[in-house]
Amino acid sequence: MSNLEDDLRLALRREEPSLDFAERVLARLSEPPAVPTWRQRWAVLMRPPRLQWAAVAVVLSVLIPAGTVQYQKELRYRAEGERAKAQLLFAVRVAGSRLHQAQRKVLETSRPGTRL
Amino acid sequence: MASSVGGLAVRVQEEPQRAAPVALPAFADIVREHQGMVFSLAWHYLHDRALAEEMAQEVFLELYRHIGSIQSPEHLLFWLRKVASRKCIDQTRRRVFWPKFGLDEIPEPPAKLRQSDPLLSRALARLVASLPEKARMLVILRFQEDLDPSDIARVLDMPVGTVKSQLQRSLDVLRDKLARTVGEIAL
Repeated sequence: MSNLEDDLRLALRREEPSLDFAERVLARLSEPPAVPTWRQRWAVLMRPPRLQWAAVAVVLSVLIPAGTVQYQKELRYRAEGERAKAQLLFAVRVAGSRLHQAQRKVLETSRPGTRL
Repeated sequence: MASSVGGLAVRVQEEPQRAAPVALPAFADIVREHQGMVFSLAWHYLHDRALAEEMAQEVFLELYRHIGSIQSPEHLLFWLRKVASRKCIDQTRRRVFWPKFGLDEIPEPPAKLRQSDPLLSRALARLVASLPEKARMLVILRFQEDLDPSDIARVLDMPVGTVKSQLQRSLDVLRDKLARTVGEIAL
């Protein structure tokens, strides 16, 4: 066994508390249980690790509604985009068919022997 | 079911939170028998005498509320060590605990120190108090209570392998810090 381990045993040997320790424990046992005030209850919440959980809860309570709103906004934008795309395709199709008709007319009128 | 704790007949209850089945004078005997162990765990861990006494009192108040669930003197000892360790670790987590001393404040030894030198003991106790939470409690349970790694693992709910490796690492850290603190001490 190393000297360090022996030294640690000496350094960490048991010590007695103050002489009236047991009497003070008994005195506390006979005290009526204290009802915590709202301030004390709040203070308990503010101690780590409870504080960490409270912070996580606050962050989540902000992030979840914000995320939900953002997601709904995204869905709305996407739906509007789809609608605009459909309208554009429809317009392109209409324009295409008009263009096709006009082209046919032009070809018919430019044929030799065609009277204007 | 009845059993004996500290020479007292203790009835094991279904709901230990209810009124404790032990008279105050008898409970005082239990406190006196174990106060040194509980106080020393807290004192070596927290290095603050007032805080250590407060912590030890809380351990015994909790024992009074749970005395009905204690099944034997060995169980009582295990319970006290477990609750005292947990409360000490919780305490340091609650108020971020900075040791009230630094390595620079530890007095230089005037000469080569002997094994039982009080200066060396003080320096070592302070170095132990500067270890991280769990490592500190491991060292205290090992060298104050003389517990085996398997017993420490049960008290702290840790794997035995982790206890062994952390103990070894803590001893290396202590050896290194002590060498830096007291210079030429032969370890």
